[in-house]
Amino acid sequence: MALSEFVAQLDELVASAQDAFAGAADDDALEAARVEYLGAKSGRLKAVQKGMGGVDKADKPAAGKRLNEVKSEIEAAFQSAKDRASSITDTDASTDFDPTLPGLQPRLGHLHPITQTIEELKDIMGRLGFSVSEGPEIEDDWHNFEALNIPASHPARDPLENFYLATADKTAEKTAKSTGGPLLLRSQTSTVQIRVMENTPPPVRIISLGRVYRPDTADATHYPMFHQIEGLLIDRDVTMADLKSVLRLFAGSYFGGSDVHIRFRPSFFPFTEPSVEVDMSWGDKWIEMGGAGMVDPNVLSAVGYDPDEVSGFAFGLGVERIRARRHNVVDIREFYKNDVRFLKQF
Amino acid sequence: MIVSRNWLKQYTALDMPLEQLEHRLMMAGLNHEGTETIGHDFAIDLEVTSNRPDCLGHLGVAREIAVLWGQELTFPAASPSESNTPVTELTKVTLEAKAICPRYTARVIRGVKIGPSPAWLVDRLATLGIGPVNNVVDITNYVLFECGQPLHAFDLARLKGSQIVVREAREGEKFEAINHKTYELTAGMCVIADADRPVALGGVMGGADTEVSSKTTDLLIESAAFDSMSIRTTARRLNLHSPSSYRFERALDPEGVDWASRRCCELILELAGGELAAGVIDTGAVADVRESVALRFPQVERILGIPVAAEEVRSILTSLGNVEQSADDEQVEVLPPTWRSDLTREIDLIEEVARIHGYDKIPEDVSVPMARSARTDHDRGLEKVRQVLTALGYDEAMTISAVSEDWSAAYSPWSDAPPLRCSTPVLRGANYLRRSLVPSLLGARRINETLANEVIELFEIAKVYLPQVEGLPEEHLMLGLTSGEDFLTVKGAIESLLLRLHCKVVIEVHDISETMLTPGCCCELRLGGETLGYVGQVSDAGLKRFELRRPTTVAEVKLSTLLSAAVLVPQYAPQSPYPAVDRDINLEVDQSVRWADIEAVVTAHGGNHLERLDYRDTYRDDQLVAAGKKSVLLSAVFRWADGTLTNQQVDQVRDAMVAACRDELGAELRG
Repeated sequence: MALSEFVAQLDELVASAQDAFAGAADDDALEAARVEYLGAKSGRLKAVQKGMGGVDKADKPAAGKRLNEVKSEIEAAFQSAKDRASSITDTDASTDFDPTLPGLQPRLGHLHPITQTIEELKDIMGRLGFSVSEGPEIEDDWHNFEALNIPASHPARDPLENFYLATADKTAEKTAKSTGGPLLLRSQTSTVQIRVMENTPPPVRIISLGRVYRPDTADATHYPMFHQIEGLLIDRDVTMADLKSVLRLFAGSYFGGSDVHIRFRPSFFPFTEPSVEVDMSWGDKWIEMGGAGMVDPNVLSAVGYDPDEVSGFAFGLGVERIRARRHNVVDIREFYKNDVRFLKQF
Repeated sequence: MIVSRNWLKQYTALDMPLEQLEHRLMMAGLNHEGTETIGHDFAIDLEVTSNRPDCLGHLGVAREIAVLWGQELTFPAASPSESNTPVTELTKVTLEAKAICPRYTARVIRGVKIGPSPAWLVDRLATLGIGPVNNVVDITNYVLFECGQPLHAFDLARLKGSQIVVREAREGEKFEAINHKTYELTAGMCVIADADRPVALGGVMGGADTEVSSKTTDLLIESAAFDSMSIRTTARRLNLHSPSSYRFERALDPEGVDWASRRCCELILELAGGELAAGVIDTGAVADVRESVALRFPQVERILGIPVAAEEVRSILTSLGNVEQSADDEQVEVLPPTWRSDLTREIDLIEEVARIHGYDKIPEDVSVPMARSARTDHDRGLEKVRQVLTALGYDEAMTISAVSEDWSAAYSPWSDAPPLRCSTPVLRGANYLRRSLVPSLLGARRINETLANEVIELFEIAKVYLPQVEGLPEEHLMLGLTSGEDFLTVKGAIESLLLRLHCKVVIEVHDISETMLTPGCCCELRLGGETLGYVGQVSDAGLKRFELRRPTTVAEVKLSTLLSAAVLVPQYAPQSPYPAVDRDINLEVDQSVRWADIEAVVTAHGGNHLERLDYRDTYRDDQLVAAGKKSVLLSAVFRWADGTLTNQQVDQVRDAMVAACRDELGAELRG
């Protein structure tokens, strides 16, 4: 058989197969057409394929090539007919499907708002070059008071102002003896400053964050446990201008806006001198941020630094207050109730 | 401290608008709490920090105003005229308790006429919220609020033996105060007594029996110095706080003792008449401990970050009452005033310069040098832990660090040592420092159950406190979980943490017995031989103890153990480009054979190409599995780095696994 004759047979087959597939009215008709043309045993393609044997040997590659093409074309025609048929079915189904139904939402947990704030504060202070340091929550007299320039006569040591650990049992008594004084739940994160400075030569640039404890009666603005962020920078020539500038960058970063200003009001803390209350501008008002000051020379000396060599600043802010203000939480007890509906809001 | 605007005017000019006055005082250290209009006066409420007792009187506040506005301060002379009778003929003072009352002075006025105070005095006190009593008592109050030194006037006729003995209270001694309450005193408290009984609680409150009444004609005016610690302890112990105790708890001006006494007598003579005995009985003395302090001028800029001219520094210090001892180009040396015992060091003087010069002059835009700061591995690890848990649907809780005795006793897997106890409860009934987070989380769970919250999945990351024989207690950061899901789901959450942290170490499971947890449905998890934590379904008894209605699984993980196994910087490992081949193996084993046993044997015989071993299911159907047996379905996945594994290769390994399971575990392969 001449090549041209074979090719003509093939072309005719394609055309008629395409017509047959396109004309199939339903799935059954399409299946019948498929068997007629593509049937493995006695389909017309198979029959035509057998004619290959009669083609001249030299033309066989060309014939084979064309045969493969035709095969693909017929299969493609079938496929598109099949797709069309099934898409008709799909269209029918889509009228039953309601895409406005809620998607399947896996339950997502929520970080506690205090954690979120702490992480953000760490992040901001990290960008300002402050690294995070941690210390124990149960402290001794030296770190919570003595080294912080709070002498034995200071009212801050009053048993009513602190959670001292009971020494009635033997363990606590022994512990108290070995640590030189009664232990207590730390009343401020400044204790960490002492621990870091005792073990690190200057410069020091740290923040410490964590739980602190004071015997306040729980109400909308007080809780016997709360979180503090404390910053400390010790180096040569650190000044109150540095303190103000760092606090301004911090406030601007956390509360947003470049037009944030910082105001100092004189105050008194045993471990800083001068000591100030820090306000930041909030619209046309000033709001309290926390306490700050230059690290008292007695504190520097207590940790073995030379107050004539280095100077530094420290500041401390209440995390609950910061969070409550930014998110309009009116009662800080909410933070510790752990109602999942509350947690979900943040 | 509430100050009257009209009263302040007696000592310095107040021409500035009220708002400006309040603002400037606040910016110089007297925080403005609020102002109320009282009659024709303003009651200005100022917060006085504990280092500034000099501002607990109008004179001190007026002095600040005079300094800030550069004005004159008029100080009353306090020089009453005396009669010829020496005071020593009329009374006697014995000072026995010098440690708690370093100085006691007495003056005597005879023949006073007790009556109402004049309107101006009543008005002054009214602005401060103090009602009038009689002219003498009002005057002692007035002088207290004028200079900050508390005073007391006794009815001399009612003092037995017409004398004063200052001594320590006897244990159990009774005393009736002016408020007509009777207090039982303890040793260490300072008592002002007459010949035979306490007539005042020194520095805290006078006694009912010797108070000035309409019948009083002769007065003993007490002005003294008391030890601040002793006063504080007494006031706290008796819960008896007064304007006097408030002031004596702070370091008052030692010079104020005599000045106040004279001022008080001067006003009594003026308003109640009578005649002042000559002289004063002045027992004890408060040593002048003041030392001069040098301020090196460059230190001002070194601390404040701004220069302040030497002349200004000197003028600020002088205006505040410091007396210059010497001055040159380098420094100034001053003797601080008696009323400022807080000024003992150079840095104290720098603070004075700063607050008067003005903190507003300190810039807020200097450039602070950059510094390296890295997140700690600890924080990096914790962040991943939190990510995993929130992704798994857990909400983060925060509970207080102390629990009740019952909760503390309920569950403590980490320590048998008795818990640390606070001397006062941190929160209602919660005075035990927790040794586990689980009880607190079950408490939080209960609150959510009472609020009918459907899904309660909580975790907390916080410390537990384990007592040690010596030194500080150990604080361990724990992860606590409470879930409504079953044991395996919660255990899976912990396994997910290990995966996310790329821990290479495998968890080992050990049986435990714990009344809070359901037997058989709880275990200890170990990591490299160390306890990682505990997981378990809360037992019925446990649910009852915490008043929970619905089942829960709890877990607690020691984060130091977890994080020390974490690989925070995972390293690249090439992945085989060839496909994996898997084989399902269904083994029938005795009920007592555990997955861990099967896993160990199968893994040991998995050859070099076992990529993964997955547990699929366990069947215990009596129809299909022989009695006392169970059928465990697992899937082994194989892959080779250098080529595609053939079926024969994989089957060979599978057969070796099955054979080993038969030999070692008595397992039979099921079809």
